[in-house]
Amino acid sequence: MSEAAVEQRRRFWKTFENPVTVKELRSRMRGRRAFVVLTIYLLVMSGLIALLYTLFAAASAQPYGPQRREAGRAVFAAVLGIQVLLVAFITPAFTAGAISGEKERQTYNLLRTTLLPARALVSGKLFSALAYIFLLLLAAVPLQSIAFLLGGVSPIELIISELLIFVSAVVFALLGLFFSSLMRSTLAASVTTFASSLLLTMGLPAAVMIVVPLLTVLFAGAIDPLVELSLIYTALILASTNLPATLILSEMFLIQEDALFYFRDVIAGQNVIIVSPWMLYIVLYSLMALFLYLATVQRVRRIPR
Amino acid sequence: MAETIIEIQNLTKRYGDLTALDDLTLSVEEGAVVGFIGPNGAGKTTTMRILTTLLRPTCGKAWLAGHEVTAEPRAVRSVIGYMPDFFGVYEDMKVWEYLDFFAACYDIPLPARRRMTDDLLALVDLSGKKEAFVEGLSRGMKQRLCLARTLAHDPRILILDEPASGLDPRARIEMRELLRELKQMGKTIFFSSHILSEVADICTSIAILEAGQLVAYGNLEQMRKQLYAQREVVVRVLGELAPVGAFLLHQDGVGATVSAPAGDLPPGTIRFAFTGDDEALSRLLRAMIAADLPVVSFVEESGDLEDLFLQATKGIVR
Repeated sequence: MSEAAVEQRRRFWKTFENPVTVKELRSRMRGRRAFVVLTIYLLVMSGLIALLYTLFAAASAQPYGPQRREAGRAVFAAVLGIQVLLVAFITPAFTAGAISGEKERQTYNLLRTTLLPARALVSGKLFSALAYIFLLLLAAVPLQSIAFLLGGVSPIELIISELLIFVSAVVFALLGLFFSSLMRSTLAASVTTFASSLLLTMGLPAAVMIVVPLLTVLFAGAIDPLVELSLIYTALILASTNLPATLILSEMFLIQEDALFYFRDVIAGQNVIIVSPWMLYIVLYSLMALFLYLATVQRVRRIPR
Repeated sequence: MAETIIEIQNLTKRYGDLTALDDLTLSVEEGAVVGFIGPNGAGKTTTMRILTTLLRPTCGKAWLAGHEVTAEPRAVRSVIGYMPDFFGVYEDMKVWEYLDFFAACYDIPLPARRRMTDDLLALVDLSGKKEAFVEGLSRGMKQRLCLARTLAHDPRILILDEPASGLDPRARIEMRELLRELKQMGKTIFFSSHILSEVADICTSIAILEAGQLVAYGNLEQMRKQLYAQREVVVRVLGELAPVGAFLLHQDGVGATVSAPAGDLPPGTIRFAFTGDDEALSRLLRAMIAADLPVVSFVEESGDLEDLFLQATKGIVR
């Protein structure tokens, strides 16, 4: 192999060699904390699934009781619910102290005077937090697969939901990192991050619940297809900013309209395409992730005046 | 002549109405050990933070090994090793992991890092603690570990802010020995300290800063000339002091005289102020001998660094 090829290969592998990731993972996985968190998480999830299964088993013995497939859907929904809570509230907790903690520990300036680029510091912190979150998500897969044994859940539902969870984890982790780079104390960064997470998961559905009926009243009787389509898309985009709403609506599209990506509808005689919210969610959250990443890198790179 | 490695020109830093650093200009030659002294709030840490690319100056420029700090921060970081006055360590890391992590942050390849870690631990006398957790180290050991960290990429310049602060006497001596060793290795060391005896011991030159301004800079001898308008000479003679005093009063360059027992002088001594160079002082001694005065000793009093510091600073606190 030529020297140039060796150098090229070295450079390629160097992009995956982030000292911050190695250090963070080493510290995170060392000691009992990581093991204890994983065990508690799996115990809570197993307990919930066992409880659901027992309730459904008892109810299905009754005449007109739920079927096995409904138990499968309930298990799937319960695991997903816990995963939503995990990515929305636990992920930012892992990152909210990532940079502010360095400032509090007085190690931030030591890092900033090395040759470590700002983007390597941010991506190192991000990957190490996500690696642990993905470990928690992966560890739940055997429990989630119980839903397949019971039936009622298709593999495509699992794939879409896990994709949404994955993208959300990245965004919520970056949200924590962004506020961590902005604030001097971890407490302030954590409070701001949780408030933002709460707004994204709870505040926006509340806004949708107020705005959509208001728009319906305002445009009552409007038959202009453009206005109607605009209203539908406004509601869809608003719903697509929220993980639980996106999961529920995408499921409804799949079950009621048999639409994985989109479906066609006739509005005031016009043929229109309605896109499934999970696609909008992925586009919106990918853009948000990009913005948060660049803003955090910029903040870390900045030299105070 | 050694190359100038640190060049600071008209460096100023203002925080609102407060001027932390006021038009600082100085240059340091490669291999020099510069003691940066001054009262609290004099602007020492601000200067060091600007030189280490952690802070932007309001105006003025600084170059380290030819790289301007605001225009080429990455190039500057590659030639400096910085130890701040207050620093943290990653308590949950082992000693070798700590050094390996920072070496990786300086892009040192893995095989070289292994060898370098052992060498640095040997240099700071922490080889026996290689597998220990950082949290188990004493304050002095952590300080030495931090110094080893600054050497991970073999920098040409070391910028150390109060490297011996908070250390017990033994750890302080060990730190001083370490700095001497680094000096012998050819490193340029720019360090601040409140312990003046320590600065005088190892520095090739001293910069005194007060209220953001450089009040004196040079080696001890140059500073003495800079700060003392007159030289103080103490003469011990046999017998009566009065004729000696009378003789001195009529000599060129001789100012006020004080004879024992005034001025806490030992018996038989007389102290006088003298304005003039070494030639003139030598002529005066020859004249005293020629006048048959019974001179036993003729010594110029050299103030130590503490005297110089007090002479240079006015105790201005902002």
